Amino acid sequence: MKSNVINILKKELREMFRDKKSLAMMLIIPFMIPLLVIGMSALFEYQTNGIKATYNRIGFAYEATSIEEEIIKELGIFGVKGTEEELKSQFDEGKIDAYITKKENTYIINGDDSENTTVASRLIETYFNTYKEYLQSTYLENNDVNSEEILNIITLDKNIEMTENFFANYITVYAFLFIIMAITISATYPATDATAGEKERGTLETLLTFPIKSKDIIVGKFLSVTVSSIVTGLLSLILMIIALLVSENMFEIYEGVNLMLPITSLIFALLVIVVYSFLISGLCIAVASKSATFKSAQSALTPLTFISFFPGMIAFMIKIKTNVVLSFVPFLNFTMLFTDITNGNVEYINIIAMIISTFIIIAVVLNIIIRQYKSEKVLFSR
Amino acid sequence: MLKVKDLKKKFIKYEKNKQKSEFYADNGISFEADKGKIIGILGPNGAGKTTLLRMIAGILEPTSGTIEYDNLTFEKNEIEIKKMIAYLSGNTKIYNSISPYELLNMCAELYDVPKSKRETRIKEISEILNMKDFLYNKIENLSTGQTQRVNIARCLIHDPKYYILDEATSGLDILSSQIILDFIKTEKGKGKTILYSTHYMEEAENICDYCIMINKGVIIEEGTPEKIRKNTKTTNLRDAFFSLIGGTKNEE
Repeated sequence: MKSNVINILKKELREMFRDKKSLAMMLIIPFMIPLLVIGMSALFEYQTNGIKATYNRIGFAYEATSIEEEIIKELGIFGVKGTEEELKSQFDEGKIDAYITKKENTYIINGDDSENTTVASRLIETYFNTYKEYLQSTYLENNDVNSEEILNIITLDKNIEMTENFFANYITVYAFLFIIMAITISATYPATDATAGEKERGTLETLLTFPIKSKDIIVGKFLSVTVSSIVTGLLSLILMIIALLVSENMFEIYEGVNLMLPITSLIFALLVIVVYSFLISGLCIAVASKSATFKSAQSALTPLTFISFFPGMIAFMIKIKTNVVLSFVPFLNFTMLFTDITNGNVEYINIIAMIISTFIIIAVVLNIIIRQYKSEKVLFSR
Repeated sequence: MLKVKDLKKKFIKYEKNKQKSEFYADNGISFEADKGKIIGILGPNGAGKTTLLRMIAGILEPTSGTIEYDNLTFEKNEIEIKKMIAYLSGNTKIYNSISPYELLNMCAELYDVPKSKRETRIKEISEILNMKDFLYNKIENLSTGQTQRVNIARCLIHDPKYYILDEATSGLDILSSQIILDFIKTEKGKGKTILYSTHYMEEAENICDYCIMINKGVIIEEGTPEKIRKNTKTTNLRDAFFSLIGGTKNEE
């Protein structure tokens, strides 16, 4: 039995590595990952810097002092002067993001609940904090009091290790999601080719005449698709690491952050990739085996591509925490574990639950297909 | 000896209104095939020949009935039986992306031909079938005749006792058909048992020792070509068939 599985595996791998389309799916799709990582990083950076640059048009309905002018210049504020009515009119026309009016010693920030005013308000608060600090310091100095001692009566220091930030976390988890997607897409083609494709080309009948049990045929085909998926996953992981390292040096949003995952996290990631490759290969073989033609198999596999990606993405977005029960849920468990790997808090029990659940699913699915492989509905459904 | 007893295969047919109905592609076929004989399975398209041979080759499971090869059954000895048989049909396709040499090597591995004998066996077969010129070319680049020779070579690699040939000459030109017919005669001479299905009655008349005529899944007549002609008082198997089904030649 073992040698027949190996013979089928060898046959399938030989066909796969000689087929340009299979090779392309296996080796080219991973190259999308660096593009996506770098592209998303660039987008994050543009959004972050873009906000700072865009929402800085602030109106002043009073005469600013020379010190205030200096602070305005230092903070990169685009100051517009005018009366309250003029500034209100400009605000309504969208020419400024917010405006400041002054009544005696009270400064009022005017605007609405738009993103422009919200961001501009933060800038105005920074502006007034700086100005207030200057005024307090000058007042104290004029009254012969050491302003340094008063203003810094207590000291606050930060001892927060800057190993991760929001963007770093986000991009790493998304890169892992892209890997899942790459493995799924690359598994569909060889699985379709090895089952529905073989049926369509008429070689399945030949294969069935050989002294091999259906079980060995299915297992051999399943293993060949798994090999292809693991190659894609491994290549994707390598390219993801390279892309993260390049992004770390390329974008300001990752300043002070080490995007490189520790070696234990990489080992866990590799383990999840291998187990996922087994699962998706088994499912793809099962779905494609029941299809009569290559085209119908591809259509049948399309929902699987979405199912593999979206539950995990939603779980990540709504920040569901991993637990043993959820680690048994296929697809969801892989994304959640990738999130844990990114955050560096993987629990062995969750990994074990994911492995057990995956191999139970594979065993059930393959068993069903092996039983049906003697059925004319599956074999000669054309 | 091959013994087929009361073999039935039921299929489910889906009507246009999505209602299911059952029908028997083969309904109680029984026969025996001796060593060194060519048994013709004759009948029009849709008579149940392909389903019958697929069951005999172990590709399809019968609904009921038994198949025995030298007292072995598929239920208990599937692998042993498959090592004794070779199946070739008019629709049989082979792997295009590999060369005949690689295909034969793969088949030899699957049929457990000892590693030490594989090279010699491939060499012998490629000489017999005159395949030396294209042994290492990709199958997708071969002509129909050359591909057919590769298909025959695939069947010969494990030196089977039984050949199951389903419409093996269907759609082939005269030269390619002749390759198959010569091959059948040679293997018969070696004492092999050959099941040969065809809807070309003249072809069957020329090479078969015994003919089984099937229509709508049941045997309507069997015997040597001479006996069938005699029983139906006709001069050829084509007329015999029409006489048996009570139709005209135009219905074929």
